[in-house]
Amino acid sequence: FIIQVQELIINKDPSLLDNFLDEIIAFQTDKSMEVRKFVIGFIEEACKRDNELLLKLIANLNMLLKDESVNVVKKAILTLTQLYKVALQWFVRSKTMSDMQEACWDMVTQMKEEVLAMLEVDNDGVRTHAIKFTESLIITLSPRTSDSDTPKRQEGDISLDKISKDHAYIRYDTLCGEGKSALEQLLKFMVHPAISSINLTTALGSLATLARQRPMFMSEVVQAYETLHANLPPTLAKSQVSSVRKNLKLHLMAVLKHPCSLEFQGQISTLLLDLGMSQNEITRHTPAPREPRKRPRHEPYTEGKKLKIEPALIEDDEDKEEPAPPSISKPSSVPVVQSAIDLTAEFLRPLLSPENVANLVLISMVYLPDVMPASFQATYTPVESAGTDAQIKHLARMMATQMTAAGVGPDSKMTEHNGPPNSQISNMEMLIFISENLAKLKRGKPPRSRGCLSPSSPPHRSSESEAVQLSHIKANPVPCHLTILTVSFDLIFFRTPGTSGKRKVFRLADVIQPLTDTQLEKLTNMAVKQILERVRVKLLSRLVTQFEGMMKDDVLEFILEDIRTRSDLAFSLLYQEYNTYLSQQPTGLLDSYDHCLFTLLSGLQEKPEQRDGLFTKIVLEAPLITESALEVIRRYCEDESRVYLGMTTLKELIVKRPSRQFQYLHVLLDLSSHEKEKVRSNALSFIKRMYEKDQLRDYIEKFALNYMQLLVHPNPPSLLFGADKDTEVASPWTEDTVRQCLYLYLSLLPLNHRLVHELASVYTEAIADIKRSVLRVIEQPIRGMGMKSPQLLLLVENCPKGAETLVTRCLHILTDKVPPSPELVERVRDLYHKRVPDVRFLIPVINGLEKKEVTQALPKLIKLNPIVVKEVFNRLLGTQHSEGSSSMSPLTPGELLISLHNVDSTKCDMKSIIKATNLCFGEKNVYTSEVLAVVMQQLMEQSPLPILLMRTVIQSLSMYPRLGGFVMNILSRLIVKQVWKYPKVWEGFVKCCQRTKPQSYSVLLQLPPAQLTSVFERCPEMREPLLQHVHSFTPHQQAHIPASIMTVLEANSKQPEPEAMQPVVLERQVMGTKTTDGYVCH
Amino acid sequence: MPSHPLRVAVVCSSNQNRSMEAHNILSKRGFEVRSFGTGSHVKLPGPAPDKPNVYDFKTTYEQMYNDLVRKDKELYTQNGILHMLDRNKRIKSRPERFQSCKDQFDLVITFVKYQLGIVNTSREQETFTPVHVINVDIQDNHEEATLGAFLICELCQCIQHTDDMENEMDELLQEFEDKSNRPFLHTVCFY
Repeated sequence: FIIQVQELIINKDPSLLDNFLDEIIAFQTDKSMEVRKFVIGFIEEACKRDNELLLKLIANLNMLLKDESVNVVKKAILTLTQLYKVALQWFVRSKTMSDMQEACWDMVTQMKEEVLAMLEVDNDGVRTHAIKFTESLIITLSPRTSDSDTPKRQEGDISLDKISKDHAYIRYDTLCGEGKSALEQLLKFMVHPAISSINLTTALGSLATLARQRPMFMSEVVQAYETLHANLPPTLAKSQVSSVRKNLKLHLMAVLKHPCSLEFQGQISTLLLDLGMSQNEITRHTPAPREPRKRPRHEPYTEGKKLKIEPALIEDDEDKEEPAPPSISKPSSVPVVQSAIDLTAEFLRPLLSPENVANLVLISMVYLPDVMPASFQATYTPVESAGTDAQIKHLARMMATQMTAAGVGPDSKMTEHNGPPNSQISNMEMLIFISENLAKLKRGKPPRSRGCLSPSSPPHRSSESEAVQLSHIKANPVPCHLTILTVSFDLIFFRTPGTSGKRKVFRLADVIQPLTDTQLEKLTNMAVKQILERVRVKLLSRLVTQFEGMMKDDVLEFILEDIRTRSDLAFSLLYQEYNTYLSQQPTGLLDSYDHCLFTLLSGLQEKPEQRDGLFTKIVLEAPLITESALEVIRRYCEDESRVYLGMTTLKELIVKRPSRQFQYLHVLLDLSSHEKEKVRSNALSFIKRMYEKDQLRDYIEKFALNYMQLLVHPNPPSLLFGADKDTEVASPWTEDTVRQCLYLYLSLLPLNHRLVHELASVYTEAIADIKRSVLRVIEQPIRGMGMKSPQLLLLVENCPKGAETLVTRCLHILTDKVPPSPELVERVRDLYHKRVPDVRFLIPVINGLEKKEVTQALPKLIKLNPIVVKEVFNRLLGTQHSEGSSSMSPLTPGELLISLHNVDSTKCDMKSIIKATNLCFGEKNVYTSEVLAVVMQQLMEQSPLPILLMRTVIQSLSMYPRLGGFVMNILSRLIVKQVWKYPKVWEGFVKCCQRTKPQSYSVLLQLPPAQLTSVFERCPEMREPLLQHVHSFTPHQQAHIPASIMTVLEANSKQPEPEAMQPVVLERQVMGTKTTDGYVCH
Repeated sequence: MPSHPLRVAVVCSSNQNRSMEAHNILSKRGFEVRSFGTGSHVKLPGPAPDKPNVYDFKTTYEQMYNDLVRKDKELYTQNGILHMLDRNKRIKSRPERFQSCKDQFDLVITFVKYQLGIVNTSREQETFTPVHVINVDIQDNHEEATLGAFLICELCQCIQHTDDMENEMDELLQEFEDKSNRPFLHTVCFY
């Protein structure tokens, strides 16, 4: 609501302002930050409305400027930015000033100073606001000129040119000085090494504004940009560097667009090129050069100002703040502004001959920091235009910028000498001069330069870039020896050795006097060799460790020549080296000891087989096993002829050096997936033994599981191929690579059954190829675990989703040779009934199931693929186990066949049932004539009759013809059971009779007349033989044949009706098709 | 923590995909958000890469939607443009151009590097109130836009929770840079 009040008071009815002012202002101590901010806004609006209020309110604003909340302070700064202009304008207008007004202006001035001082505060945001205030202040306190690029909104703003020089209180030159000092402060602020990225961005923007609105400052601005570009603060992160560079580019382009940028076009384009802009783009943004007559004609005071600022920048020669006489009018060919940097650059340029530059590089190397700073690395780009004139010019400017920044320069010296520099100072002198200056630069910041990891100070960085640039210039036209030096410089520079700068110089010196060195070496070598001949062990080892270089290698070679007799020396040397290392603690390096041990071990490893166990001895007695030594041991283990010895040694290490046992164990574990079978199996058996040790168990287990986990990757990780074989990443899994991941795991599995669950979880995630491979490799270990394993039972019980095939495979493996245990059966049954109703689970344990369960599962089982069905029957019939454990089967063969007949045809198609019965008939050993007879007997007694009954009868008969009599018996009894009521069975019945004639005649004669007629309708050719059969009977026998039957027998023969024959034939054909369908007979 | 919700502007080229996705999510999370384009026209993909559908900033989303339905309903349904327009018209009526907006924000977020420059130079300074401009490069497709929107939303929430946004911004951005593995360019402009 308070906003409405403001609206009302200020805009609607100014008369209210007086009345409510105090009430509003009273809120300035309100607790809420927002309210205080509002009050500030109110003050601003009120003062703009009625300048008189400034007198009163400025004090309030001053209080708020010191508020504890940064947000309030920021707002106050913003308001002061506006009110400063308002106040100035007001006072300037009012010619004469009251005491009140004077006091008010003093306060404004004082507040201005305070805000300027805020450039140094801790808060980033406050600093940002202070920068903007400074910008506005500089604009206000400098004159607008004809070429000022003033935004429309600020047209009416006050600036120095509107202030009359004879104002009573506000002094033109004081303000002018204040403006300049503000600019200086801003420039100083910008080169602060720890400036934040946002402050820098802000300052860059402010400078661009300054350059456009006050072109007289363009020279300073461009210089500041140049300095910044060469000295990006080392504290910036990578993206911040790119933000700043992007801003710099943007602002440079803005400056470039300004017509007054003409004199600086060269410098700006060089900068833009460095910032990654193309020449084309730059040209596009460059304004067309103007006619000379249009050249900016600065007002006299501008000239004076320039002249004044230059010395101020160069050195601390503070001149009086008085404008110089406006007499100098420079010709257009000479740059209007020539700053200290320009002077220095001009001076340096002719001196940058390749020789000088090379020397300079060498000298500056001394001062390079040990480690390349990140910011340098990030912004360094190879210099493209190396060696060109423009580039040399640029370089000269860069150096000049550095030197001027450090407060040294030839110009000051020159002015003392009072003469033109180029002719008088020789190249060499110049060189020394520059290097001294460089040295000065470095020493300026000594604490950061050494041993410290923090980014080095800006001068360092720039000297590096200078050095690099220098070396680039040189690259083209230099004589040979210089190039070599450059190369050596480059090497040293880029490798950034860990030694200090001074050391590098020493090394260079070494190179210069190689003769003495080699001589020295020769002499010492000769001495050592003499001692070797006498084999003074102790003396020798002591001596050798004292020296660097060749002697050590000589001695080691000497030892290896005949290591058996010289092992004493070997040990002595080794211990001596270790001793030296210990005595240099904590900074000592193991390099020398490592080298000694490594040479000894690899010497032994490369030699042919030795039985003295010296390798083991050295390994076990060495005070410390280094990385490279471990590598040799590994290689030793990989040698098939020494695997056992090597691994025994490794095992000893693991057991006897507990502090680093995991490191050694890791090597052994690595070898467990080695491509050589022998290495692998040895490693595995060693690991198995280790696995029993509690302290190693976890590590081994973790390793094995990690390795197995690799299987979930879509492609085998390169880890599997070893470091040397860098195969393409996308190669598919192969049986071998899968096995590689599993060797260790599978050998641990029988030792720790709990691990099996991990396999299941990996299995579910792995791709199909891997799954297949896994199924193949698990046979041994799973069998090893046995079906009693509680963990395995648990796995079956839980059967994770996706691992069904794995579980099935396990079940198969387990029950392959032995019948399933009740526990296992129980688990599988549970699984089948409660979770995964896949009948295939039941197959492995089928013999452990109840009869009823098997019968229930049969319809589903026989529908599976024929191979599986075969397997099921093998199990059920006991035809698979050599031991013949058919007694275990819940179903006898007969029962099985009977159950097949009783399979509900709605649950399973007839075809599958027939195929299944065929499988039974295939097992002649099991289905003997006796078994089949029992089956037929039982089937026949069922009611209703099974559809396939007659098919089985016919089948049995063709298998065992001697069952004929039994079959006849069956047929007769079927007549009793009125077989014709079951169409299918009846069909089979007739067929059977047809096949078994003449035996079946007696059976046929037992049929009632209607049924006999039906038989003849089906097979008319039967009638005649049957009739004859009857005729062959004795009369007594014939008398037993009922007349009705005889009628049937004879009837058709008397009146053969061709029309009647036709349908019969047709029907036979139909039956024939049915035969192929349901009644296949062998 | 600022007592008012952060005033955010999200800026992409056509004020359709990236900025609207961010607009959508940010406004749902309670930010005072506006979205803009910086292009001279609003461009939507057409039947071929060289035949975009071009509208001016006065055209409403609704009109664009109807236009595209008329042109090739199948195509524009399939490439998701209609869906996007449908979403957009439920957020606001038409695209807005950043250069013509006179409002002030606390934070401007751009998705293409060169937009930093456009934002920088779009207005003359008057009050010197700072506005932070952050650029995160986000590709102009639906998936990236969604990812980007969430990233930005998270960033805004973090900024909203700072005690002194300007002072903590640098550090926060570094954190985000590490986390998201994208460079965040950060600059500041003034109204």
